[in-house]
Amino acid sequence: MALRLETVSVNLEGHPLIAPFSLAVAPGEIVTLMGASGSGKSTLLSFIAGDLESPFTAAGNVRLDGVTLDGLPPEKRRIGRLFQDDLLFPHLTVAENLLFGMPRGPRRERLAKAEAALAEAELSGFGERPPNTLSGGQRARVALMRALVAEPHAMLLDEPFNKLDAALRQTMRSFVFEHIAARRIPCLMVTHDQGDVPASGRLLLLKDAMVTDA
Amino acid sequence: MPLRLTRRGFASLLATTPFLAPARAEESWAEIEARAKGQTVYFNAWAGSPQVNAYIAWAADEVNTRHGITLEHVKLTDTAEAVRRVRDEVKAGGEGSADLIWINGQNFHVMKEEQLLFGPFTEELPNFALVDIDGKPTTIVDFAEGTEGLESPWGIAQLTFFADGAKLDTPPMSMMELLDLARDEPGRITYPAPPDFHGTTFVKQALAETIEDRAMLPLSIDKAAFTEAAKPLFEFLDQLHPYLWREGKQFPQSQAQVTQMLADSELLVGLTFNPNEPANLVASSTLPATTIAWQNRGGTIGNTHFVAIPINAKSKAAAEVVANFLLSPEAQARKADLKIWGDPTVLDMGKLTPAQRGLFSRAREPGSVKEPARTIPEPHGSWVPLIEAAWLERYGA
Amino acid sequence: MNRLGAVPLALLWALPLLLSLALLVPTALDGAAWALALAHPQLWPALALSLATGGLSTLIALAISLLLLGGLPRSRVWHRLQGVAAAGLAIPHLAFAIGFAFLIMPSGLIARLLIGGDAPPQWVSVQDPWGVALTLALALKEVPFLLTAGFAVLSRGDAAVRIKAEAQAAASLGHAPGSAFLRIVLPPLLRELRWPLVIVFVYGATVVDMALVLGPTQPPTLAVVIWHALNNAEAGVNAMGLAMTLLLTAALALILAGVALILRLGRQAMHRLLTAGPSPLQTPRLLAALAGLVTVLTVSFALFILVLLSLAPRWPYPALLPPAVDLSAWASVPPATLWLSLLLSLAAAAVAVASAVLWFETHGARHDRWAIALALAALALPQLASAGGQYKLLLPLGLTGTLFGLFLAHLTPVAAYVLIVLAGPYRAFDRRYVAAARALAASKLSAWRRVKLPLLKAPLLTATAIGFAVSIAQFVPAQLIAAGRFSTLPMEAVTLASGGNRPLTAAFALALAVPPLLAFLAAALLGRPRWR
Repeated sequence: MALRLETVSVNLEGHPLIAPFSLAVAPGEIVTLMGASGSGKSTLLSFIAGDLESPFTAAGNVRLDGVTLDGLPPEKRRIGRLFQDDLLFPHLTVAENLLFGMPRGPRRERLAKAEAALAEAELSGFGERPPNTLSGGQRARVALMRALVAEPHAMLLDEPFNKLDAALRQTMRSFVFEHIAARRIPCLMVTHDQGDVPASGRLLLLKDAMVTDA
Repeated sequence: MPLRLTRRGFASLLATTPFLAPARAEESWAEIEARAKGQTVYFNAWAGSPQVNAYIAWAADEVNTRHGITLEHVKLTDTAEAVRRVRDEVKAGGEGSADLIWINGQNFHVMKEEQLLFGPFTEELPNFALVDIDGKPTTIVDFAEGTEGLESPWGIAQLTFFADGAKLDTPPMSMMELLDLARDEPGRITYPAPPDFHGTTFVKQALAETIEDRAMLPLSIDKAAFTEAAKPLFEFLDQLHPYLWREGKQFPQSQAQVTQMLADSELLVGLTFNPNEPANLVASSTLPATTIAWQNRGGTIGNTHFVAIPINAKSKAAAEVVANFLLSPEAQARKADLKIWGDPTVLDMGKLTPAQRGLFSRAREPGSVKEPARTIPEPHGSWVPLIEAAWLERYGA
Repeated sequence: MNRLGAVPLALLWALPLLLSLALLVPTALDGAAWALALAHPQLWPALALSLATGGLSTLIALAISLLLLGGLPRSRVWHRLQGVAAAGLAIPHLAFAIGFAFLIMPSGLIARLLIGGDAPPQWVSVQDPWGVALTLALALKEVPFLLTAGFAVLSRGDAAVRIKAEAQAAASLGHAPGSAFLRIVLPPLLRELRWPLVIVFVYGATVVDMALVLGPTQPPTLAVVIWHALNNAEAGVNAMGLAMTLLLTAALALILAGVALILRLGRQAMHRLLTAGPSPLQTPRLLAALAGLVTVLTVSFALFILVLLSLAPRWPYPALLPPAVDLSAWASVPPATLWLSLLLSLAAAAVAVASAVLWFETHGARHDRWAIALALAALALPQLASAGGQYKLLLPLGLTGTLFGLFLAHLTPVAAYVLIVLAGPYRAFDRRYVAAARALAASKLSAWRRVKLPLLKAPLLTATAIGFAVSIAQFVPAQLIAAGRFSTLPMEAVTLASGGNRPLTAAFALALAVPPLLAFLAAALLGRPRWR
């Protein structure tokens, strides 16, 4: 599993937000793209995920596992995402949220997987709870597990720790990074917070529409 | 339906209701007119016809300039609305909101029975003397019930059929001929489902043409006797229905719908209670100029429509003056004019002066009835609920 | 202080309504009336027809609406559809029925186009014994209402952002758009659409004017049987009609309770479907486009036909266009009547929305069930019955024949509709926005005015427009309470319709359609979010 961006660029009504650049993210690697707010980081993620909306346009090629994603709808790309909000579906229970994205199969196995994921997130027994009864940290962990049990081939993180308090943020970072690394998923994270950058990870800077190695 | 229409003597009515005692019997017509001045009359009248509405608007102008009366047309979809309102208002006490009601048949019976009507007053109206009581007995007998001065005649109704002469050269002038026509043109004949007023009238016409003893009709009847007497009627309808529109399993809701379906060429024959309606519809170009109208040669069901004054009316004097104006030769002539409304007059031409007679135009208009038939008075009111119930039971579901 | 917020709603609406309903009780306990009703040969088949046409038309309308909401991209089309839905909502039911009938009936436009000849074919296309024409017309006519209610939910500022983000999340979890709509958007949407759906069902099962034009006749729907009975001059027959009314109401309540029970029992199974895993289910765009096209074409054709009918004194078969046109029908629409109707309806809609908002702001959501139950009762009872109770209440108070009485008569159904339509969006409002504003030192009123009001702008305006449209179409209560002292547009229109004059009926029906049409367009324009 590997994620490759080939001469990808992002434009807003003809003005370049991100000049063409290329990037390869290896399995289990977490690459961080840092830039100021409004610099086009999130738009880049939308392009990779396949739901870029006007007035933004983008060019270039995205390959996942060697296959180009050009023209594929978002749901076929097998790219998991974490957003600034946890976006747990409020009408589904915690376990149902996990089942939502899990590949189809015998119900018993799927339930077991959901239970295992909850255990992994130290949330055993929370399956039947409605999401709004969980704390912010618990919800964030469910959101990650929900993305992971969908078995993505790459992950995009869009300032996922932004809304967590400082103490929680640190534990959450390591929780997320460990799980992504353990599953050997290539991961691209955008943030403007220096503290989000994992110790061993690669860091790119987006400034004046140019992507450069830090 | 528990419709009990006993013929109660008017004397007993007087005795039970102090209201009705003609306290102002000595009051002259001039005094009534003087009292009427400045009063407002709320005239509750069915308003489904723009011609009728325009006529009432004209009458309002006239009574205003002649008598200083304000006439407001309260537009009804169904006269029963006014009956219910008067009933409720009388129960609540005080003065009512209706001063004059356009009425006949069941609505009149109910109001008379429940003592909701003011009067007798018709004898006080100077123009009532001009009414053709001998030639048109229905002017004092409303569906076999004596009017007893509680309602003043306004116009004449006779069951009349009509068709486009370009599509139907020989009109069926009896129920049997109608059956033959239906056999030749299956699916092109129908009538509105009772208890629609026109539908019930169609069935009454069939009853009158099939019953063995027509003398039974003006008399009260009970269910057992009716079942026996109406046997030929239902034998006839059973024969007719398979050749009707939708094989007699569905029926239009109203006479208006039948007329519309005729205008749309879906049907061959329409029916109406106003003999001049076809001509009027030609004049307003709803129907083509080739329209013909006829009445069944053995006689046709007919009745009179009236105006009555509720017992709790606020402006009784003005209501009487309006009722009298509606009976005036001028108002009656205008009403009979095909271009205005075309409702036949209740007056006796012989009682009018030559000048008054001259007001009534005699021009033949396309769509008018060529050979008017004699009137078969409406059967006694006790027949109606029995007819409607039996029809509903047989053909309703 | 807080409790006083319920006063306008209680005094102007709930109390008169409750008293009116209470006044019906003695008639409801009348044994003779029930005996007559149960002996009526059409009772059971007519009841079955009413329930079937009401139920099926609701399901079809829901299916079409969901197809449009889910199947069309949230694009320009979607937003243009909002305007079209508003237009469709504004057309009075009777007007649509007349236009629709002239489209499909044997001498109608389709037959003229396809068959021709001297005499129309003997199609069983209107007033068919199974109620198909009525069901279809009801369904098509209700699509705009459900669409508008759906748009009000989906395009509300806070919800729209959330739904979009959730759809993205669903896509990242492998769900195709169709699957995401079914599993993420639909469940909460249906929850908020439940009262509009109940209204549609109850309306469809109790409608009289459309059933008279399009419905079966032998037997007709129960509403028509009741209508005839209540219109009778005989008090005994009126009582039978009331008994049938109660029976119909009970049957509707039973069905709704049954549906609620099935939904509750089926919850588990439903959630299994929701969480069965990612699915490649696409949105049926082609089908949606087709359904949208058919609906829009039928509704606009019906409207277009209505315009022609209002201009044509005669339109014989098989002419494709009327031989002559004139404006005589239009000339008979009296301006004074038009003004009275406009002002009354504007007042009723404004007062209803203001009282409803005051209620929502001062009382918690848990009290809503009573207000909404009352509103549903007000709408579920055939108007001839409930208006009769209201009339009995206002008569001894001397309010019949007064402008205030007339206003109250209009307010009763308007407030009911407004409450039901507004409860969903108002209660679903994310209170954190107000909390955020308060935290930014805004007063309670200022937070409401500067944050909540703008965010709820669209549903509030839609509710006002619906209230206006409901009010301007009021006939039965107005006719009773006005006591002939005032004349509104529908009074003129319905009395003329009773005479069957098609051009006049069409002209008045259109005159009835125009003011609400403008109101809905205004609501759609003013209610647009600042950006999309």
